[in-house]
Amino acid sequence: MKRIGIPRGLYYYKYYPFAKIFLTELGAEVVLSPETNKEILDIGSKYCIDDACLPVKVYHGHVYFLKDKVDYVLIPRFTSISAKEYICPKFGGLPEMVRYSIPMNSPIIDIEINLYKNKFNLYKSLFSLGNMLGANPIQIKKAINKAFKTHYVYKKDLLNGNLPAVLIENKKPVKIKTKSIVGIVSHPYLLYDSFINMNLLKKLSGRCIKYITPEMIDSQIIDNLCNELEKRIFWSSSKELIGSALYMMNINRIEGILLLTSFACGIDSLSLELIIRIANKIYNKPIMMLTLDEHTGEANFNTRLEAFMDLVERRQNLDNNLSPYGRGIYCSERNIR
Amino acid sequence: MIITYPHMGEAYIAVKGIFDNLGIKSIIAPFTTEDTLRLGSRESPECVCLPFKITLGNYIKSIEAGADTIVITGSCGPCRFGYYGPLQKQILQDMGYDVDFIIIDPPKENPLDFLHNIKKLSNGKTSKAIKSIYDAYKVCIEIDKLNEIQYYVRPRTKNKSIINNIMYNFKREVLDAHGTKEIIEVIKATGNKLLSIPIDKNTKPLKIGIIGEIYTIIEPFSNLNVEERLGNMGAEIHRSMTIKHWAENNLIMPATGRKGYKMEKRLSNPYIPVLIGGHTQQCIGHAINYANLNYDGLVQIYPMTCMPEIVSRTILSQIEKDYNIPILYLIVDEQVGEAGYQTRLEAFVDYLRERKYNHKLSEKF
Repeated sequence: MKRIGIPRGLYYYKYYPFAKIFLTELGAEVVLSPETNKEILDIGSKYCIDDACLPVKVYHGHVYFLKDKVDYVLIPRFTSISAKEYICPKFGGLPEMVRYSIPMNSPIIDIEINLYKNKFNLYKSLFSLGNMLGANPIQIKKAINKAFKTHYVYKKDLLNGNLPAVLIENKKPVKIKTKSIVGIVSHPYLLYDSFINMNLLKKLSGRCIKYITPEMIDSQIIDNLCNELEKRIFWSSSKELIGSALYMMNINRIEGILLLTSFACGIDSLSLELIIRIANKIYNKPIMMLTLDEHTGEANFNTRLEAFMDLVERRQNLDNNLSPYGRGIYCSERNIR
Repeated sequence: MIITYPHMGEAYIAVKGIFDNLGIKSIIAPFTTEDTLRLGSRESPECVCLPFKITLGNYIKSIEAGADTIVITGSCGPCRFGYYGPLQKQILQDMGYDVDFIIIDPPKENPLDFLHNIKKLSNGKTSKAIKSIYDAYKVCIEIDKLNEIQYYVRPRTKNKSIINNIMYNFKREVLDAHGTKEIIEVIKATGNKLLSIPIDKNTKPLKIGIIGEIYTIIEPFSNLNVEERLGNMGAEIHRSMTIKHWAENNLIMPATGRKGYKMEKRLSNPYIPVLIGGHTQQCIGHAINYANLNYDGLVQIYPMTCMPEIVSRTILSQIEKDYNIPILYLIVDEQVGEAGYQTRLEAFVDYLRERKYNHKLSEKF
């Protein structure tokens, strides 16, 4: 039985259930790297080149952890995950970045996920991976179907407001009395990695604040909102952020928006700027951008977050007292653009 | 409609030729200076790449000089360049400037839009526009020849200031020339002037190739005149990507049914088999090509946070080992202090010279 390592970073939070079912169905054993910790971050930033972004550095750390413990490390080349859209050049070059930075004994499985033109490429890659594991085409087709099924169930669970930590790692969901709701606009690899984002979600829950993440918003809504923009957005990661931010701006119950980004993220530098510029025009509620990097001192982060949460709570109290005609005074229902 | 366009090295000469031929009024943005960068970076997002900041500064300067329409090319690739236009438009509008953007996206994205834009730009004379684009391509060929003369002469002559003087005059003369025909004459005359400079033909200068992100290697302001600096230190340089090279592979070859960047793709295939965006394949391909041509060293230049070039840099570290060629990585951003830059280039050139000398010695014995 072949042991295949999956690093717990980047699109792990999006595609782990798919990969796990597919690989185990074909008789491989899946080995996960541990949750991100200080050691992994340190090793990652040691081996990765210095001007890459934080999630890529962390990913290197996870690969380093796995490198001699498994037969293969699965590092898919994510060129595109939806038609006519890319993700980020670093995702496309991820196998190369890892291969030439970390001296490895276990070979890398670098199948290409490319849905830019059609779905055929994905099947081709999955079949080649299946072949490598020694399965016959019928088994592979079965595994693909099962994996897709799991993936859709997982996606639906996310849409219903469950967190990957609950779904993948079987952690207990935190039940809180909700006082207010805020929207968090961020990539899954920053949002759900509690080490990188310094326990952001827990801190919000601690103050009885419920949050909405881009994964909880229907992709159809995101598509429609992004179509209103002047030029189509050709990064799926950025589209998710911009679309969900626009959606959150139009929902009255959402009391504020938190933008979470990592330093030197190429795509966020444009998309978050676009969000903030739109928000300046049409949005009257708190909006804050937090930038993450290798720093692990929590004090600054906490201060900013607390200020934001205070603002949200205070405004809500005011809002409830002064409601002129059944609608909050801070709500904004103007059109985008 | 008074058209303007951002600077990118010598591109303004070719673009000026197009608009002159078509008889359209256009303003060339004032040459990029520190002030341009300061204006641009004040309004730009924090972590965006350097070309965004400089081109935004260019726009502001030309709008102040009277332009009301900005023409740029677009793309829908994974590189950030594709979204420059919409965001810069938004920023300029927020600043209170009323400008029109014409973004020429590649024809495969939306063929009707492409034709519409060309028609709009050329006042309906589409066929004439295509002809003047071809004429501008000829200008690009001449510019490349001029640059190659400069690269050859600079390390071999004693008096470097004569070259600077000639090139300074060239900038002035080319702005006075009207239409592609006159521009080509000016370029040829300047080339002859450069060739008449006395040179020492026996010197064997170091050969250094410049690779990296296309804007930062073409625009001399953004890379703090790296070509001139290396030339003055006595190195013969070669720039991997030029405007002509870009036009040839992205306009001329696809229009005639051929595929561009064949050599680069073939050479880079063992290292990066697919297109991931930007000019990664080209950067790797050129690095290998230079190594095969026995260049002494390479300089990779890219703006900070450039996504495709970060990937190429990791691969280049392997190429350094495989092909035994030293590479200097220079990351450029808003810094305009020259001293640190100069020191690194000097150290690199010294190292290459010593390395070459030692190599020769070891060959002798």
